[in-house]
Amino acid sequence: MRVTQSMLSNNMLRNLSNSYSRMDKLQDQISTQKKFTKPSDDPVAAMMGMNYRTDLNRIQQFTRNIGEVRNWVDSTDDALDKGVLALQRIRELTLRASNGTLEGDQRKAVAEEVKQLKEHLQNIGDTQVGGKYIFNGNQTNVRPSESGFQSGTIELEVFSGIKIPVNTEGKALFGDMLSDDGDIQKLITALETNDPAVWDMLESVDKNIDNFLSARALIGAKQNRVELMEDRLSQQEVFSTRILSDNEDIDMEKAIIELTTQESIHRAALSVGARIIQPSLTDFLR
Amino acid sequence: MRSTFMGLETARRGMFTQQSALYTTGHNISNANTPGYTRQRINFAQTEPYPGVGMNRPQIPGQMGTGVEAGTVQRIRESFLDLQYRTENTKMGYYGAMSESLTKMEEIINEPSENGLHSTLEKFWNALQDLSSHTENTGARDVVAATGQMVADTLNYYHNSLSRVQEDIGNQVGVKVDEINAIVAQIDHLNKQIASVEPHGYMPNDLYDERDLLVDSLSQLVNVKVSGVVPNTYGDAKPMAAGLYNIEIVQKDGKSYNPPINLISVTKESGIVGTNKVELEKNEESGLVTGLKIGSSSFTQFETLSGELSGLINSYGYEAGGSAKGAYPEMLEKLNRMASAFAKEFNEIHKNGYALGADTTSGLDFFEFDEKNPAQSMKVNQALLDDSSKIAAAAEKGGASGDNKNAQLLADLRKKSFSDYSSLTDNEKSKLNGSLDSYYSGIIGRLGVDSQSAKKDLKNSAVLADSVDRNRQSVSAVSLDEEMTNMIKFQHAYNASARNITVVDEMLDKIINGMGVVGR
Repeated sequence: MRVTQSMLSNNMLRNLSNSYSRMDKLQDQISTQKKFTKPSDDPVAAMMGMNYRTDLNRIQQFTRNIGEVRNWVDSTDDALDKGVLALQRIRELTLRASNGTLEGDQRKAVAEEVKQLKEHLQNIGDTQVGGKYIFNGNQTNVRPSESGFQSGTIELEVFSGIKIPVNTEGKALFGDMLSDDGDIQKLITALETNDPAVWDMLESVDKNIDNFLSARALIGAKQNRVELMEDRLSQQEVFSTRILSDNEDIDMEKAIIELTTQESIHRAALSVGARIIQPSLTDFLR
Repeated sequence: MRSTFMGLETARRGMFTQQSALYTTGHNISNANTPGYTRQRINFAQTEPYPGVGMNRPQIPGQMGTGVEAGTVQRIRESFLDLQYRTENTKMGYYGAMSESLTKMEEIINEPSENGLHSTLEKFWNALQDLSSHTENTGARDVVAATGQMVADTLNYYHNSLSRVQEDIGNQVGVKVDEINAIVAQIDHLNKQIASVEPHGYMPNDLYDERDLLVDSLSQLVNVKVSGVVPNTYGDAKPMAAGLYNIEIVQKDGKSYNPPINLISVTKESGIVGTNKVELEKNEESGLVTGLKIGSSSFTQFETLSGELSGLINSYGYEAGGSAKGAYPEMLEKLNRMASAFAKEFNEIHKNGYALGADTTSGLDFFEFDEKNPAQSMKVNQALLDDSSKIAAAAEKGGASGDNKNAQLLADLRKKSFSDYSSLTDNEKSKLNGSLDSYYSGIIGRLGVDSQSAKKDLKNSAVLADSVDRNRQSVSAVSLDEEMTNMIKFQHAYNASARNITVVDEMLDKIINGMGVVGR
């Protein structure tokens, strides 16, 4: 093949420009830390990347949702715990007041304490989480002590298609215990009027305690479920992040070595080019 | 008996011819960097020997050479390489235009990234999930409205930017058509100049170069077949004469169209017949290309055409069988379909939900858009942006603050297959598949593959064109070393011829001044 000067210089130019474009690619990869920036760099990886991102994003969102579920469940558990304590105190007081040796005044004093406890229970019924009344069914923006307990369940999605009910209905839990003619009010009236039927009240107090205890058991079970779910999600997040990273993040060591190699190739190309295109016969003729 | 001065004449011819060769060498060196220049060579030819053949020839032993003359000045070029180069150049033009417009598309759509539609949609779905866990929270509601607007904005942005680039490409189509016409006019002009030189027995090499260079650039724009035609009545043209170029637009595979489409027609019978202008035909309303008018014929088979013009038309879009084809109209159509299906179904679910504290179904559209141009016109209903409590998160009458069932239905839309959309007609459903997420990633995947394959084909045709061009250069380019060597060769031959004259001169001196003076 006949080779001319212009071919040599064109060739050199082309090689240098190829070398530059490889360096550009590597520089791009290193500074963005991504293997590709456009779908055409690697269409399959780009498409998969979008799917992985969707997965990861959903997992992160579900993690947020489950955080909210935990918030509800833990607050409910705490409120129930306080509720049970208050009811047990009422039971003690009822038991004491049913003792025939108590004077009318003493019973009145007991009635005062029960009144306070009723209010305390009412406060528990008004428990708020993030501004939401958690015992008021789905009427979360209405104070139950003002409107009476409402019903309705609230569910949150914690995994694709899996929904957990997060609220405990105050209506079922408290029944009409706290209303104006409810169990506790009856007890107070009986105590104030020194009615000997106080003893009979014990049964209804026990029934309320049972109610609370079984609700707590349910919440406990829910707490366990939430914990399992949280574990599962955090594990999934690790997997998804790794898959996403494998798919599109560069291997830094590899990229830097490639860049260094490319750089030395580029230097060689420049120096060889400079040597080759320079001399021609003209330089050696007198 | 030969002439006394024959030696002088022989030497003179030598000097004269070497001198011509030196001038050609000079011409080669001067044009070493001229684009399209083909090195030239003087074909030396020996002159008629003495004596010539004939009845009354002198009876001397053998024939004697009488020197040299410059025969033809020839371009050193291989037309087969031109053919190969132009074929690859056409492909390069096509894939170059295609890959550039697809790259622009990728840049606009900007996936995968933190700012593309995909991640905007993710934010929107997340906002809906957050709404379902904080239904009563005004903040969560405002975020839904705002991220919904972000989704709409992103679609608007895609549509507007794509349309703008499409318009730019449309302008380029016009420019390229003008360029083709300009080149054709120049080639025609050169054809005419050549036609006035060749019949006199000359070889207009520099005009040939110029014409071939023009054909090279024409081949980038459109796939052409070039044939040199030497008309029947063409004076004293040399057999080597290239003739006049007949230029025909051919299909990708090199076959002629039926009937053939000529940009420049030249026939053996009547010489130059004429040229045909290319004119662009567009649909007034859509602006899409409907055809190319070339001479009297109208051309519509864009998929069989190659070259930059075809690449641009295939990106910009053309009408075929009543529907819009091409990369940009198809992408816009996909975005429109997706946007419209998504907005319609979202609205459908939203309408049937209850706003905060409402006793009747909302009836409000979440997204508003113009049916004709959904992606471009989509926006979130202003009423919801103004008062986010109107967002229908509840599924039951009363719109309780904790009722998040409709919000969940809305958030679930991402997983729903298009074929399950109740708001779509069967015809609309048949044009979509999978869920919104998978449809969109399908669009991106397809764009990526198309763009990648255009890039790959561009690279391949560039490599081929390059290697053919190298072969061409190897044959036709000027080598300075070679020219220097020739220069020395011709110079020495020139000098030797001159010395030859001195010898003959001395010989004549002997004859004229030194003979017949015996005893003087």
